Amino acid sequence: MSAPTLTPVTRADAEDFLYAEAALLDEWQLDSWLALFEVGGTFEVPTTDYKGWDRTGGGFFVLDDWDLLNARVKRLKSRKAHAENPHSRTHRMVSNVRVEQAGDGVTVKANFVINRFRDLTHHTYVGRYVHDLAVTAEGLKFRHRRAYLEHELLEHGARLSFIL
Amino acid sequence: MTQTMAEGLVETGHGGLIAQDWNALTFRVNREAYRSAEVFQAERDRIWNNSWLYLGHETEIPKNHDYKVRTLGGKPLIFVRGGDGVVRAFLNSCPHRGTVVCRDEAGNARNFQCFYHAWTFNSSGKLSALPGDDAYAELDRFKGSMDLRPVAKLDIHEGFVFVSFSPDVPPLLEHLGDAADVLSMAAEQSATGMTTLPGIQRYGVKGNWKLAVENAMDGYHFSPTHNTFVGYLRETGFPVTDDDQYAYDLGNGHSMLVLTGHNGRLGMIWEPRFGEAEKERTRLNREAMAARLGQERADTIGDASRILFVWPNLLFFDLEALTIRQLEPVAPGRTDVRAWQYVPTDEDEDVRAMRLKTMTSFVGPGGLATPDDIEAYEAVQRGIEASKGDARGFNDWSDMSRGMEREAKGEKGRSIDEGAMRSFWRHWDQALGAVPGLKATTYESGC
Repeated sequence: MSAPTLTPVTRADAEDFLYAEAALLDEWQLDSWLALFEVGGTFEVPTTDYKGWDRTGGGFFVLDDWDLLNARVKRLKSRKAHAENPHSRTHRMVSNVRVEQAGDGVTVKANFVINRFRDLTHHTYVGRYVHDLAVTAEGLKFRHRRAYLEHELLEHGARLSFIL
Repeated sequence: MTQTMAEGLVETGHGGLIAQDWNALTFRVNREAYRSAEVFQAERDRIWNNSWLYLGHETEIPKNHDYKVRTLGGKPLIFVRGGDGVVRAFLNSCPHRGTVVCRDEAGNARNFQCFYHAWTFNSSGKLSALPGDDAYAELDRFKGSMDLRPVAKLDIHEGFVFVSFSPDVPPLLEHLGDAADVLSMAAEQSATGMTTLPGIQRYGVKGNWKLAVENAMDGYHFSPTHNTFVGYLRETGFPVTDDDQYAYDLGNGHSMLVLTGHNGRLGMIWEPRFGEAEKERTRLNREAMAARLGQERADTIGDASRILFVWPNLLFFDLEALTIRQLEPVAPGRTDVRAWQYVPTDEDEDVRAMRLKTMTSFVGPGGLATPDDIEAYEAVQRGIEASKGDARGFNDWSDMSRGMEREAKGEKGRSIDEGAMRSFWRHWDQALGAVPGLKATTYESGC
């Protein structure tokens, strides 16, 4: 049996995908954002002292399976998600994009800087994305979406009530 | 101070910052308690420097020479297990000139060397070497007087490590009182023991530390604040209820909510979102617990969720899963938080994964519920600026009167009443006393 042939994913493809995602999140188009995941996709943000543990090994800030990811989006669309009503203003910069292709998927790594404004204060979130993407007929889809913070801790007021 | 007024008896506490009116059945707290720099300083002196404080769990430093640095009551500390296996806590400050000795966050080290003048201390705190020691008179006596400075007291209950910066505190178990057994109930949940996991949620909130205590002891907020989380649980098939749930004053400033309708409990009470496989495992676990601990003890541990506050800086959440949360006030309107997962050591991987997912779904600054609590503390901290200096009536007082009538009749306090908050504030008032230099509005009864 021959290995499935895949159209190579270029850095430009990955950048287009990440930039479009960043725009959806900055515009709070959360249903469209959720549609960037394949069914069963996951989202993780480990704690700031992360040392490489898996989903059984240690602390996380976000540890969403597909059901929780859907619950998170549903919650954030509600006016009763008090921590994000009114919504934060976010402004995302994504750069240093690298593509590693293997098997039926591709891993995309990138750096991010997200500025968030709310309650007349400003927080900057700095970190790395490491996403496992599926290559589908409809384009790239998130299989495992991961955001790693560089911070030593979340400073006063810097919660993760929005999507990192 | 007690004022006798036409309306009845109003007790305004030791410092005039709480006001309980046993005639009108109201309880109010002056908002300077959350805002004032003088109150904050008095708390540092009289509470944080004068009480047992939760430092950490001994499973955070399992091996000899393991250490963590941690700030408590504003003091940088080294929390370390010496080469002799003994857990100690030292001021993270060189006895020589005061330099921070250990500038890493965590690790394993036989020695701590201060980089400034290369004084070296072993992991038990002993000064083992200093360069050019021939220039010190009576070297042995001098060296013996310059070991790392330990905290005044350290004691351990069920692996929970407490320290005091004052030697004049009662024995730990006397301080913990009825809270001690609640921690024991958590520690008894696994035959092979419980442990903290690596991966501490570290975050800061723009709110006074007492708002975080109030929030944890306040069942009244659960439905409105966590509307979206309650909705999520309902969709998974779990109907949240506030019925038949109670709050307890455990004395010495400790308090507890005992909850039966907020959530299932992994390994204890099944709920649909845990999945079918967990149903049978839960039944077997409860049987094994009953065999090990006796039916009554096993039921007490297993049948209810508990939120425990151990005065003044430990919150212990025994809910869907278990979380340790430590509060560290850094300014009147700023609090640092650390939170750990506390888990059975012998757990299967799939159960552990479900435990971490379930707890993270609720708890922490990225969860589906805690961010709304943080929003509440922060919105209170901003909002109370509005009434600052407003001497009209009780405009500058926060109200915690819910359930006072039941309390006055001696009835059991419900979790959705504000009784656990009142017992916290009564103890706070007693511990703090009058605050020098504080300008706060006086309470006008009957307004």
